[in-house]
Amino acid sequence: MRTVNETEVCCVRSSRRAITRKIVNSLITLFLVIILNFFLFRVMPGDPVRLVIPNNPRISPEYIAQMVEEFGLDQPLYLQFFTYLKNTLFLEFGDSFTELGTPALDIVLVKLKWTLILTGTSSVFMIVIGMSIGVIAAWRRGGRFDTGSLAFSLFFYAMPTFWFAMMLIVMFSTGLKWFPPDSALTYGNTLVWSWDCFVDLLRHLVLPAISLTVGSIAAFSLIMRGSLVDVMTEEYITTARAKGLTEGRVLKDHAVPNAMLPMVALIAIDLAFVVGGAFQTEVVFNYPGIGWETVEATYSKNYPILQAAFFLIAVAVIFANLIADVLMVYLDPRVRLEG
Amino acid sequence: MSMMTVAAAGSQDAKQEPKMRPMALSEPTREKMRLMRKKIRQTWRIFKGNRTGMLGLIILASFLILAVFAPQIMTILSWIGGWSHGYDPFEVLGPEGQATPPSSEHWLGTDRRGFDILARTIYGTRVSLEVGLVATVVSMGLGSFVGLMSGFWGGWRDEVLMRITDVFLVIPWLVLMIVLATLLPGGPSVGKVILVIGITGWSSTARIVRAQVLSLKSRSFIERAKSIGAGDYYIVRKHIFPNVFPLVFANSILTIALSILSESTLSFIGLGPSPRLVVTWGNMLEDAVDAEAMFNGLYLWILVPGLCIVLIVLGFTFLGYALDEIFNPKLRKR
Repeated sequence: MRTVNETEVCCVRSSRRAITRKIVNSLITLFLVIILNFFLFRVMPGDPVRLVIPNNPRISPEYIAQMVEEFGLDQPLYLQFFTYLKNTLFLEFGDSFTELGTPALDIVLVKLKWTLILTGTSSVFMIVIGMSIGVIAAWRRGGRFDTGSLAFSLFFYAMPTFWFAMMLIVMFSTGLKWFPPDSALTYGNTLVWSWDCFVDLLRHLVLPAISLTVGSIAAFSLIMRGSLVDVMTEEYITTARAKGLTEGRVLKDHAVPNAMLPMVALIAIDLAFVVGGAFQTEVVFNYPGIGWETVEATYSKNYPILQAAFFLIAVAVIFANLIADVLMVYLDPRVRLEG
Repeated sequence: MSMMTVAAAGSQDAKQEPKMRPMALSEPTREKMRLMRKKIRQTWRIFKGNRTGMLGLIILASFLILAVFAPQIMTILSWIGGWSHGYDPFEVLGPEGQATPPSSEHWLGTDRRGFDILARTIYGTRVSLEVGLVATVVSMGLGSFVGLMSGFWGGWRDEVLMRITDVFLVIPWLVLMIVLATLLPGGPSVGKVILVIGITGWSSTARIVRAQVLSLKSRSFIERAKSIGAGDYYIVRKHIFPNVFPLVFANSILTIALSILSESTLSFIGLGPSPRLVVTWGNMLEDAVDAEAMFNGLYLWILVPGLCIVLIVLGFTFLGYALDEIFNPKLRKR
């Protein structure tokens, strides 16, 4: 017979193994993303120099020669790959084609700041509001709130984010003139620590944040509701009820904590969705974030920017997924045993 | 001895089957078809009781009619409106370079190219449905194939396939779509949009199918089939595929909704086919933004195509959830 102590030791060991496995898997995924990033931009048919550096009269032949040197574009593909790996390791993606002399990564990092302001704000709202709606809907299952919130969730789930953003502009900018329709600050202003700037920032943030939040609330409330409804059919809930606990206690102590498990994964995985959703919002509102920059880069064939943004987003999402996986190992014993 | 004869008769049956006319089906085949018809009837009975599912089906049927009979519908509308003829979506009817507000001739106005917005909205249904359906077939096919192989083989091949799946699962769909649409050779076209959506969307299907295959593999009936000498291909075809298919099917309806959303987003960003060649709701909305319709009071130009996207996506979502409930009996009790 196992003593409690032995079981604990066994669990610690198996959870350590599970975590090691997750980390290794994430590293492999990251490596594959790096390879994909190389192949996407190099192995398309045609002259690699022409493909990586588009025909642009503003780019001088000397500069092209320098780029060819830096990225080894005149060398065979496998040597190019090693040059690329080295460059990626030192986070060098080359200069932006539209602003020669500025490294693409610097530009993307500046834009990332704005994206984080936007997605950070709306993430807080969507998690809190979405989960609350989900819990109430599951608790009062089949009631008016459940049906109403389900209809609301599905309606906004089915709505393209960019279209919702356009409708917000029509209603609150053109119609009611409450909030400005574009950019992150009034034109000419820069981000400084002052009250006026903060108010300006907030006024510009309201509509983009709403467009991002409302669309994503649905994902949270639907999954929270589904998870909680699932948990409510479990036998231990019946047991808890049979013990004579009130409905509120059953919900608070037994159902919600267990239903939270999928939410942990969702919150992390939703980062991917947030970045995807932020793309559309940023484009419609001309919000100078990473999504807006990426879309601009596709128009001007600004590949270094595209590559840097792709890499940065992939790293962020892989990292978020890893954290979610590790948390799950600690929170859910079943995951531990599987690994 | 008797078992041998039965087996011999069975194999003879199988040999003859392809040559036979549909009139003279063998006994087991007829029995199978009878069971299938019964199953379909049962499914329909459960489906009829599902109000959301029916609503979805009605919405989708309306859009299907809109897509198939677009020219006829325009003709009928021209009688009602007293226009000279049923408008074509690529016919220059209004002033070029200047969008016009709604009028009795053009109920939703004309866009900057002089095209009638109502006609374009109605014809736009065609591309949405086409892209939604074909892209879903591509991504479901790819995902099911990878999931089946990965789950069935196991071992290092499973590892390799799953790591590749992870890459596609991890990268945000819109980012991957934008990069693919920019970098794939050839100009923007409907085919390319379909390909991009298909390549982007297969990974979650692969995961679901793999999980299902893994749980099936541990069941005793697979073991039994193996022990009497069934080959891999036979087991996949006869035992695994039929059990995975309902899951994939319900899921694919929801994927159609996502594909349609993806298509409209791609077109909106300007990575879809040109508005001069193909009408989609996405590129109508892109046109509207370019013409600053949000600030010029041309609201119907934005409202109507957008609502069409919402409705068609809702239709597929409703239908998908209803089918999910039918094929996952555990959900039905709720």
